[in-house]
Amino acid sequence: MNSNNGEVRRQVKVSNQLGLHARPAARLAQEAQQFESSIALIQDETAVDAKSILDVLTLAAPFGATLEIQAKGSDAKGAVERLEALFLNRFGEER
Amino acid sequence: MAQNLVAGIPISTGIAVGRAFFVNRGLRGRLPRRMVRKEAVQSEIDRLRAAFAEAEAQLLDVRERVPPELKDHKHIIDSHLMMLKDPNLFGAAEKIIGSLAINAEWGLEKAVDELEKVFAAINDPYIRDRMQDVRIVAEQVQTRLLGERKDIQAMEGRAIILAHDLTPGDTIGLNVQKIMGIATTLGGKTSHTGILARTLGIPAVVGVESLEDAAHDGDLVIIDGLKGKVLVNPDEEELTQYADLQHQFEDYHTSIVRSCQLPAETIDGYRMQVLANIELAEELSTVIDNGGEGVGLYRTEYSFLNRTTLPSEEELYEEYLNLAATIAPRRVTIRTLDMGADKFMSHFGPVDEPNPALGLRAIRFCLRHRELFKTQLRAILRASRVGNVSMMFPMISGLKEIRRAKSLMADAQAELKAQGLPFNAQMPVGIMVELPAAVMIAEILAQEVDFFSIGTNDLIQYSLGIDRTNQQVSYLYQPLHPAILRSIKQVVDAAHQTGIEVSLCGEVASDPFCVPILMGMQIDCISLTPKAIPGIKRIVRQARMEECVNLLKQVLHCRTVGRINRLVTDTIFQSFPEELSFYASLLDTDDMGG
Repeated sequence: MNSNNGEVRRQVKVSNQLGLHARPAARLAQEAQQFESSIALIQDETAVDAKSILDVLTLAAPFGATLEIQAKGSDAKGAVERLEALFLNRFGEER
Repeated sequence: MAQNLVAGIPISTGIAVGRAFFVNRGLRGRLPRRMVRKEAVQSEIDRLRAAFAEAEAQLLDVRERVPPELKDHKHIIDSHLMMLKDPNLFGAAEKIIGSLAINAEWGLEKAVDELEKVFAAINDPYIRDRMQDVRIVAEQVQTRLLGERKDIQAMEGRAIILAHDLTPGDTIGLNVQKIMGIATTLGGKTSHTGILARTLGIPAVVGVESLEDAAHDGDLVIIDGLKGKVLVNPDEEELTQYADLQHQFEDYHTSIVRSCQLPAETIDGYRMQVLANIELAEELSTVIDNGGEGVGLYRTEYSFLNRTTLPSEEELYEEYLNLAATIAPRRVTIRTLDMGADKFMSHFGPVDEPNPALGLRAIRFCLRHRELFKTQLRAILRASRVGNVSMMFPMISGLKEIRRAKSLMADAQAELKAQGLPFNAQMPVGIMVELPAAVMIAEILAQEVDFFSIGTNDLIQYSLGIDRTNQQVSYLYQPLHPAILRSIKQVVDAAHQTGIEVSLCGEVASDPFCVPILMGMQIDCISLTPKAIPGIKRIVRQARMEECVNLLKQVLHCRTVGRINRLVTDTIFQSFPEELSFYASLLDTDDMGG
């Protein structure tokens, strides 16, 4: 929850049982693209562009993984909150 | 002789003769790769950008026209759209073009190769397989770069569709009236293309390996959907021959359809019921049009798939009630949820099972997820108040599973009673016999249920220990293996000794070469895909029970599959010469594995 220079970070957990598979990845990238801020998704040491479905897919984040969302820019706070909400409701999927 | 004759897997019967129209070709090996001058780099990047934009516009257009029944494809198209806009694809290609000063096609190819490496390193097989989508998207762009912009809509007049593979986008764009036949390089027995072609009644052959070398746009092509052949630029003689065959097949087809409402009764008066396997209530009209005497297998997975929430009891109840009421007074057997293995993917958690076919599926899955199971049981019970409904449990391995399922059913009945909701307390309850274990103890299981339904597709796989979709071992998929024949016979005998009904569903039931043997066992009903019913009913009507019993006796004396297959083929040849030219049997007569 640090915030300096418009940078916002937040930890989220992957609660989709299939992990960040095709549908959630598409959803995540789609939503991220709505924001002006640059948004990174970080798993362990690896950071990828949250606006790229291919990046998000190749992160291959499994069920239960902890990720960090890191947004930088004018609408960073809104972006992080929006993406966090997606993780919380499992990207609208049942499991 | 035809200029080229290539073979594949016949997946939709019939003969088509027409001009070839290639929808998309595999691009590898045909891509131009060249260095460009520094000044030309920008124009290559512009070409690339324009090609991406065109591909996107076309996909957006397709997306608008997705019919509701294909809504699952909509999300595939959505992710393809996302990939088209992805900086990792366009951006990477752009960078490569700039730094290496190469043409757009080559740059995109290299970008895709890079991604391929990244995806190949991913452990999760489901995510790794998404590379297929990247390739599909990239090929759509390459096609535009190469100026091969045409898609199915561009087709003038009627034609034979040839393709490397048909993508969901192509499929949705198909203008059905214009397609005479289909052949593709990729695809297997269960491919999407096959399901589509069969639904539309278009002859189709898939898995034709050298199709793209063998045929070109405008070639005269014959699609032999009976035997799985594609003839390119045939000679006069072949054309005449196939015109005759096409004629005969159409006559034969008309005649079997005309007589399909007659009962399936042998010349000597033995009566067998011929039922249909379906998964949508919309198929009921096809069942009735093709002479189905009811539904022997109603698969219930469809309403659980391709959605993000579980169906409610009311939803399921309406579905089953509509089914029961529409087919009444004919019977319908509803199979409880057979999720697992292949169908597992989208909803019920990760496929972390090393061996899904031997994992948590069907009745095991339902007994684990009891609430879900009870919802379905309640819905089926409630629907049983109309028409003629029975219910069966899939993948039973022993008595305990039957008893646990039945006790859940008793709970559901008690609840319904308490709520004052009507149901048929006498609804027949049966099981699928599809595990070798169930075969061995069939006489014990028969005491507990009202009927058996033998599921040969799984029984063959589990008995012979082969995965039929694995090409390395699919030659071992032998429906008439002595072990399979003995298994089926044992189950039929056990049922009859106990006085319960036994039916058989599975591809064997639609194979004219296998049906006479099943008749010899005096099986009560067979259940098969609706379109195959007229042909099978005709076989039954032309057969004599006495001869079937004889054939069975001889077959049971054979010690190898090869011998059995020859014997059966000879018999069919003598009794039903007409059929022989119209069917590609499941049987493999060249003695593989003897």
